[in-house]
Amino acid sequence: MKLDVRGEVCPYPMLKAVEAMKKLKGSEEVVVVTDHAPCLETIPPQAPRYGYTYAVAQTGSPEWTITLTPAGAAR
Amino acid sequence: MARQDGILAALWGLGLAAGFTLQRSRFCFASAFRDLFLFGSGRLMKAILLGLAVATVGFAAIMRAAVPLAGLDLLPPQAHVLPVGASTILGGLLFGYGMVLSGGCVSGSLYRAAEGYVASWVSLAGVVIGLGVIAQTWNWWWTSLIATEPKLWLPALFGLGYAGALAVTFAALGAAFLVLTWWEARSGVVAPAAIAGAPAISFRQRIARAWHAVFVRGWPAAVGGAVLGGILVVMYTIHMPWGVTGELTRWANAAMTLAGATPPEPLGLNDIGGCAALAEETGLFGHTFSVTVGVLPGALFGALLAKEFKLRFPRNAVRYAQSLGGGLLMGLGAGLAIGCTIGAFFSAIPSLAISGWLFAAALAGGSYLGVQTIRRIP
Repeated sequence: MKLDVRGEVCPYPMLKAVEAMKKLKGSEEVVVVTDHAPCLETIPPQAPRYGYTYAVAQTGSPEWTITLTPAGAAR
Repeated sequence: MARQDGILAALWGLGLAAGFTLQRSRFCFASAFRDLFLFGSGRLMKAILLGLAVATVGFAAIMRAAVPLAGLDLLPPQAHVLPVGASTILGGLLFGYGMVLSGGCVSGSLYRAAEGYVASWVSLAGVVIGLGVIAQTWNWWWTSLIATEPKLWLPALFGLGYAGALAVTFAALGAAFLVLTWWEARSGVVAPAAIAGAPAISFRQRIARAWHAVFVRGWPAAVGGAVLGGILVVMYTIHMPWGVTGELTRWANAAMTLAGATPPEPLGLNDIGGCAALAEETGLFGHTFSVTVGVLPGALFGALLAKEFKLRFPRNAVRYAQSLGGGLLMGLGAGLAIGCTIGAFFSAIPSLAISGWLFAAALAGGSYLGVQTIRRIP
């Protein structure tokens, strides 16, 4: 599922990403799009707690896409 | 006059450096307190502890030069040694709750305002309104509460002297570090692994990498904390520790004066350092103006170099209400505590003041309550 949280500041992007990972329980990847740099520090540490791995890519200025992949499906 | 000009130029440079550092390290006091309760992370709070440790050593040296013998009922000039009592606790609770609600403290809102966060502009407006409310009612607070509160300065207590006060402060910082580490272990938070870039081989690649590390990629929070601690020491060496609410109080007072509602002459503030708005410091290019407004171009410079400037409008209208309400509560809290997370905490603990520790505890309490509230606001 795609989570567009542009315009939101801490802690909402992180809370919404966690909510999504909790709801999907590893059945689907979560793609978070944000323009708030501090999210790069707050969202990744949450991934392993819910059985996800993460990848961060800069997709704009300033815009980042954090892809949260279910750990089983990663490889 | 030339010496004054030199001091002002130096303070402008430090204000710019502080803004740049805040932006580069995404230093956020609100997150530091909030994330403890939200997901058990002590990463930013540890960065603050490092900054406090750096500033404490420098402040102690500066204060010892000014007042060699502690314990003679004499406080070092400009030190942020503030009243300790119910006003500290009430101010910290209001401020802690407000900063979590709005998503940033006063310094955080200042540098985010320069990065283009429109909600931060609203927060700052709320802060100025809150400070104005306290300015209008200050004498009531003073006579019924603050006048009887002692200004407790560690070197003058129990014959501690400077060495004893430094030992106590460092023991407390060390204990805080251990508690934070225990808290993180208990909550199971995992630090994200550093992302390795392409290897730098040639001279050009190495320079490009260094440029990238300083001006493009965000700094680790601990680097930001240590640099801010150093900036604080240089600021105090030149004139005074860092504070930002004194300047914003002056703006509130100026606006109310224009509207024909000049606040009454405040009682007691002449004996209090910190962010008390002192009459002789008026004027657009005063010292507090330089270290407060200087944050804006400093942060803007950092944001532009990293291509992180963008006008960001919250899509959820509730966020504007959160920013204004949170800003208002921060203004009330900073008015009562005579400072914000900078003046009454980050500059107060290195001043070897008990007030800084009590304010920090109250900020944590207010943040805990704030976390309970924002969890209920989608």
